[in-house]
Amino acid sequence: MKRNCWRLLRVYLIWAAIIFILWLPIAVIVCGSFKPLIEFSDYPPHILPRRPTFQNYLALKNVPHLLDYLRNTIILMVGTTLGTLISSSLVAYPLARMRFRGRNFWFGTILATMMVPSCVTVIPQYILFSKLGWLNTFWPLIVPAWFAYPYNVFLFRQFYKTIPSSLDEAARIDGATEWQIFVKIIVPLSRPIFITIGLLSSIFWWNEFFLPLVFIQSEELKPLSVGIYSFARTLFRMRWDLVMAIASLMLIPPLLLFALGRRYITEGIKTTGLK
Amino acid sequence: MNRMSYRSTLAAYLFLSPWVIGLLIFVGGPIVTIFILSLTKWDLLGSPTWIGLRNYINMFQGKGDFWLVFANTLIYTVIGVLVSVVWALFTALLLNQKVPGTGLAGALFFAPAVVPYIATAFALQLILRGDLGILNYWLRVIGVRNPPSWLMDPQVIIWVLPALTIYTFYTGQMMLIFDAALKEVPKELYEIAQLDGASSLTIFTKVTLPMISPILLFNVIVSFINTLNMSFTVIYPLTAGGPGKTSTVLSVDLYENAFKGFRIGYACAEAVVLFVLCVLGTACIFWLSRRRVYYEA
Repeated sequence: MKRNCWRLLRVYLIWAAIIFILWLPIAVIVCGSFKPLIEFSDYPPHILPRRPTFQNYLALKNVPHLLDYLRNTIILMVGTTLGTLISSSLVAYPLARMRFRGRNFWFGTILATMMVPSCVTVIPQYILFSKLGWLNTFWPLIVPAWFAYPYNVFLFRQFYKTIPSSLDEAARIDGATEWQIFVKIIVPLSRPIFITIGLLSSIFWWNEFFLPLVFIQSEELKPLSVGIYSFARTLFRMRWDLVMAIASLMLIPPLLLFALGRRYITEGIKTTGLK
Repeated sequence: MNRMSYRSTLAAYLFLSPWVIGLLIFVGGPIVTIFILSLTKWDLLGSPTWIGLRNYINMFQGKGDFWLVFANTLIYTVIGVLVSVVWALFTALLLNQKVPGTGLAGALFFAPAVVPYIATAFALQLILRGDLGILNYWLRVIGVRNPPSWLMDPQVIIWVLPALTIYTFYTGQMMLIFDAALKEVPKELYEIAQLDGASSLTIFTKVTLPMISPILLFNVIVSFINTLNMSFTVIYPLTAGGPGKTSTVLSVDLYENAFKGFRIGYACAEAVVLFVLCVLGTACIFWLSRRRVYYEA
């Protein structure tokens, strides 16, 4: 009994340490957003504000383009998520549910392209988009999403595999086309994975930094991730108070999406490890 | 029957077509292009000049601090993979203890992975800066004299950055995958081992690790690719590759060369190196694991 108590205490202490390490930056951001600027140069440094103020949030209305940044992030989130849901769900269908020549080859190719980092392909993409006159627009970020992301295809395939194959075989015998099977049987049964990928994609594009940094230059078109970065860099003196207030607001949507869709996110990711 | 299979193959390719087109335009085409452009000198204006292997020769002669950047990439990637995989496995093991509250702990362990890394980066600057930094204050309190300025010290910076991979999305993702794999290990195996009087370390190395080895391999590859892929986002907002080039990895240098210096040819040569590194790294991981991964029959 006593030994069990010790074990319990030990596990909880390690948990506490992990949670402390992982949540420290979040605590620094949220607490920092309530600090007056002067407190960021205090020694010894302190995480909690001494004289808490709401002033930083009120001052955000003077941050140029902040609403533009927010609007752009939302446009990117919606445009890419919609695109990847439609295209990835289509591409995964034959890989999971049909027998055809070359299936293993194409599935292997999808897995292989998951392994190409975006910084390898970004320069030719930049050249291509500049030829199309798409630089400084949302197209370089949204259009590729409509051609299916390998990771999302993979997630869809993993889910489709769990649907009993007797369903579409029965439909095939009744003379249904593949398109009908996909739309009438597979899609309605796959609601959970659509939600999973919708959430993961939204969170990804809320956070994405590299690609918008490359393709978008004008302030009016930057998303929040790049906007907060360029705001912090162009200041003569680092406004930690304002940066922390913007950062705090940026934490809310992904954490909210996670809180609302936790089951979908964790269950969906866990299927990646299955064969 | 033949006609049937012909029609279904056609249907299958129609379904696949969006991705195949995307693959050619956004991945395959670019990979061929970097090889070609890496043999040229080009500033995006005018047309590229053919210079053969000049970019590679310059590179291997160490111009543009290539060897420093290359070494940084290797250090960052190897340590980053180690840190993120070990952290993910360790946290997943913690979630598989038989104590009340694992559900809540799981949520608290994973939630920080979804916040934007760019926001985390600003907090990390406050935590890791030299004189006023929170970490260094705590270190001084427990008696460490002259803790380094973590983000400014050329000696330590490249060793600090890989540790920050614990805050990335993919580390949380790997934790969930490990968690699911650990729950699949048959309970009887643990019970037998315990009856035989095995210590928890023995149980971990002789039962748990072999049983999850396919997932371990999978996650090492996930981590390898993502560590390379996210290296720009992890490093650039914190240090922009500095001081000097001491924290510049290939992805950062490639960005600077292509989009700040407009040295497209050289940047493409770096992209080629990165691509080759990716392929060799993945092959290497498979090769190293070929005997140690246990697949259930």
